[in-house]
Amino acid sequence: MATDKQKNVGVSIDISDNDMYAALKDIPGYLDITPGDLKEVFRSAYRHATERIASSVRAEEIMTTAVHTVMDDTLLKDVAELMAEKGISGLPVIDQSGRVIGIISEKDFLSAMGEKEHSSVMRIITECLYGKGCRAAPMRQKTARDMMTSPAITIPPDLPIFQIMELFSSEGINRAPVVDRNGVLAGIISRADIIRASVIKP
Amino acid sequence: MRGTYFEKMKGSTQSPPRVSLAEMAWSWIGAFLGIGFISFMNYHVFEKIDVLMIVGSFGASAVLIYGAIKSPLAQPRNLVGGHVFSALIGVASQLLFHSHLWLAAGIAVATAIAVMHATRTLHPPGGATALIAVIGGEKIHDLGFMYALFPVGGGVLIMLIIALLVNNIPKSRRYPEFWI
Repeated sequence: MATDKQKNVGVSIDISDNDMYAALKDIPGYLDITPGDLKEVFRSAYRHATERIASSVRAEEIMTTAVHTVMDDTLLKDVAELMAEKGISGLPVIDQSGRVIGIISEKDFLSAMGEKEHSSVMRIITECLYGKGCRAAPMRQKTARDMMTSPAITIPPDLPIFQIMELFSSEGINRAPVVDRNGVLAGIISRADIIRASVIKP
Repeated sequence: MRGTYFEKMKGSTQSPPRVSLAEMAWSWIGAFLGIGFISFMNYHVFEKIDVLMIVGSFGASAVLIYGAIKSPLAQPRNLVGGHVFSALIGVASQLLFHSHLWLAAGIAVATAIAVMHATRTLHPPGGATALIAVIGGEKIHDLGFMYALFPVGGGVLIMLIIALLVNNIPKSRRYPEFWI
């Protein structure tokens, strides 16, 4: 699974000798380089450019700063309501001083409601259809603290986008809060933020 | 291991495209004016005072500075540096090893290449300039290190001036890419 992911990441534009031949023809005059060598130069330059861009863009430049949060003592029904209203699938849990102490996501709700550890929407629906009742009922009195994943995987503001991508991939996460040196929430980065920032403008 | 060694001899890519007719025409004009001017001076002015002004390697330089003007090998730094350094090395090699001309010739060209690389002045005709210092005969040998200054240095400067004048006439051409 991990290797499949890596393969997908590694797919790059496939440039051919013929593309280079065409490029050489576009430039008037004689360039003493073969299409093959030019392709090597182009590939190397492209790799340098993507690495430079990837390492120069930092977390604080791409993060979303308007973050919806809940406190550790927020009731789960309020957490669920907020997520539903704002159309978000996860949010950070903070304490009184604004420090991130955990993260709560749809996944946490699903695994709390399902019988099995890796639950899904379809599993819950299945269980409901078999007449096992509303599995969310027992969590009525519980708070964010009871369900959150803690400690949350957080990102320092100066982490390069390239490393954020690696982190998301290796941890299998979709979002991570950006926190300052004291652990206080500064923003949040989702996969969508990374995709928006990764488009190389010609 | 041996498989890849012979595999490499097959080549891996194709020849670059042919240039336009205009490019061919401007290469012709530049080379004709450059070599023509130097040869005229050689035969009608300097020969009368028994001074040599042209060496064979200029023909090779003409290919680069009139025919492949974008090449790093064709830039002024390479043209002048490559010829002058190679001339000095050729003369030194001839003086040191003239009792074994084959050795003097080999050392002259090989060292010229190494020095041109080291000084970032690689210019293929420089190899010929170094070789001519050894195999060029009495008239060249008698010049001693002056060979590097004249005909080599002086002749190359004239070729450079003509390259600057001719190569910048058409819109599609520009010379040099860099000076030093």
